[in-house]
Amino acid sequence: MKTQNKIAIEADSLSIKINNDDIVKDLSFQVKSGEIYALLGGNGAGKSTTLKTLLGFHTPTSGKAIVDGHIVSDHLAAVRNKMAYLPEAAALYPHLTARENVQYFLSLADIEKSDSEINTAFDCVALQSSAWERQMQNYSKGMRQKTAIALALLREAPIFLLDEPTSGLDPVAIDEFNQLLCELASTGATIFMVTHDVYGACQVADRIGLLRNGELVGEFSSSEGSQINTEEVHAAFAQGLPA
Amino acid sequence: MKYFLNQISREWKFLLAQKYIVVLLLCTLLTSGFAVFSGLQEVKQQNTTIERLIEADRLDREQAQTKHANVGSLAYYSFHLTYEPPSDLAFAALGERDIYPWKHRIKMLALEGQIYESDAQNAELAKSGKIDFVFVVSALSPLLIILLFHDLFAHERSNGRFDLLVTAARSTFSLWGIRSLVRFLSVLLCLMIPFWIGAWYSGVGVGISLVVTLLCVVYLAFWMALSLWLGNKGSNAPSIASRLIGFWVVVAFIIPILGDLAIKHQVESPKGGDIVLTLREAVNDAWDIPKRVTMRAFVATHPQWKEHVAVERMFEWKWYYAFQQVGDQKAGRLSRAYQDAAQTKYDYAGYVSWLSPPLLLQRKLTRLANTDAIAAFNYEKGIRQFHSELRAFYYPWLFTSEKFTKEALVDLPVFQPVSQRALKKSSQLIENKVTK
Repeated sequence: MKTQNKIAIEADSLSIKINNDDIVKDLSFQVKSGEIYALLGGNGAGKSTTLKTLLGFHTPTSGKAIVDGHIVSDHLAAVRNKMAYLPEAAALYPHLTARENVQYFLSLADIEKSDSEINTAFDCVALQSSAWERQMQNYSKGMRQKTAIALALLREAPIFLLDEPTSGLDPVAIDEFNQLLCELASTGATIFMVTHDVYGACQVADRIGLLRNGELVGEFSSSEGSQINTEEVHAAFAQGLPA
Repeated sequence: MKYFLNQISREWKFLLAQKYIVVLLLCTLLTSGFAVFSGLQEVKQQNTTIERLIEADRLDREQAQTKHANVGSLAYYSFHLTYEPPSDLAFAALGERDIYPWKHRIKMLALEGQIYESDAQNAELAKSGKIDFVFVVSALSPLLIILLFHDLFAHERSNGRFDLLVTAARSTFSLWGIRSLVRFLSVLLCLMIPFWIGAWYSGVGVGISLVVTLLCVVYLAFWMALSLWLGNKGSNAPSIASRLIGFWVVVAFIIPILGDLAIKHQVESPKGGDIVLTLREAVNDAWDIPKRVTMRAFVATHPQWKEHVAVERMFEWKWYYAFQQVGDQKAGRLSRAYQDAAQTKYDYAGYVSWLSPPLLLQRKLTRLANTDAIAAFNYEKGIRQFHSELRAFYYPWLFTSEKFTKEALVDLPVFQPVSQRALKKSSQLIENKVTK
């Protein structure tokens, strides 16, 4: 992985309250450029809230969410231009084809891409060419996810934010997806993902942050040439689960 | 500019790809087209009726003038057509023309009965009923706007696309702004294209067409803003839709109906039938009371004829027309009360309309089209004025011994519709200014 010293994403003593509930408490972490960082946690741990705060959908009660050196709430448009977001259920427009969907979303960002560039992105995510011109209503979840990743690639954003990206995918699709993430990171892209998939996270992440009840309870890093120890992460993850 | 056009083109293609919206817009276009077409047909029918009546009226009067040499008989048997033709814009706002009469054939007899004979009801508040352009815009288009805009955000939220869209868009305007604009313009065009065609066909001036368009834009923008505001606050599309539809029902129907009831309750008005009855009683009684009583009452309002009111025979036309005049005088108080009440109801309805945007739009457009109650009141004033002119023409022949000749008929007043009189007046003013 080609990590640099520049900080791409930072949570600085971040606390978020929603309806008077403390969802995230004094959370601090840093993600370097070119790094794959997985924020791991069970249901209700505060993963998605953290992600949405980085996207600018929630305002921190205290602390800062910083992306590419900008405080998110202060420079929302600039920050969002730097990021490509992949939601959990990549619900694109079912009445449009994959190509039309990609063209539509790119146009929203005022990005022009030729058909051949779109084809290359589809090839890159291994979306069968027979599906490119088909309406997405009959797509499987994996195919929808691939289309959304193609869209993220075409945006050429330096930072990718992924929300439970492998949820609902079959094992083959998960492997393909993880491989794609590694390839993406190798190009220098920063990837921040929230997930509860311990094994998938360990397979691809450079670092894992373990979130429990809104607090960061541990961080795990891969060493040179080897993945993060799955058993160690699993044990720490399971500690927080009800018996 | 290129960026803006690209954004518009993107959302336009996106809109066309959504079949239900296309169907909805087509329905709007058809409904508006139907409303304009039926309005044009109605106006054409009214104009044809007027043309036919003018010709029949001319023939009928010519016949009476040939047949009757005596001035009293001639006045008695001569009908005079009064009418108010629909304005060029009437096709879009038929207004009160199906409630208030716009044509009468009147005689030299007592007038009040002739005016109120056809009075069936006196609704001052416009309610839904006619499918004219104003009805489509004021009552139906809010529903369409609600359908298109209530779930602009909620639909994307419920389908899990909202966050992706928001993060993908360059700015809020490039997404929601352009999407709203395209939808708004589509609705506006579907509603207005038939109107513009109808306006061109009817010869409505560009200025008036622009005013109508502006009023419709403001009105539709109000509903769009309301739908977007509520839509942005909630996440449940059915709940947003039901709140908006509830509001629409209240302002489009409940407020006008309750307002109408309250005004009727508040403003007392004699019925047209009461006026007719009072007049008939006065006229019938006149046959039984001494003639000098009638003539005294007549002279009280027409002192210029006091030297000529002696009635020596059993029947004299001057006595006959004098008791018609006195009948009008007796029914006058009720008639004025009726007119005042109608005007007050109209004014009160104006206050109510500030609580009901659909009613307000209807009032503005029917005023522009000259098809509202004010137009009807002006027409009635026109009839009264014409009837006074008729009396002023006939009375010298009836009350003096001067011999009536048919040559005098060149001065017989001819009814001129109020709108044409106004036109004549303004062209005279222009002419005077030019001459000066």
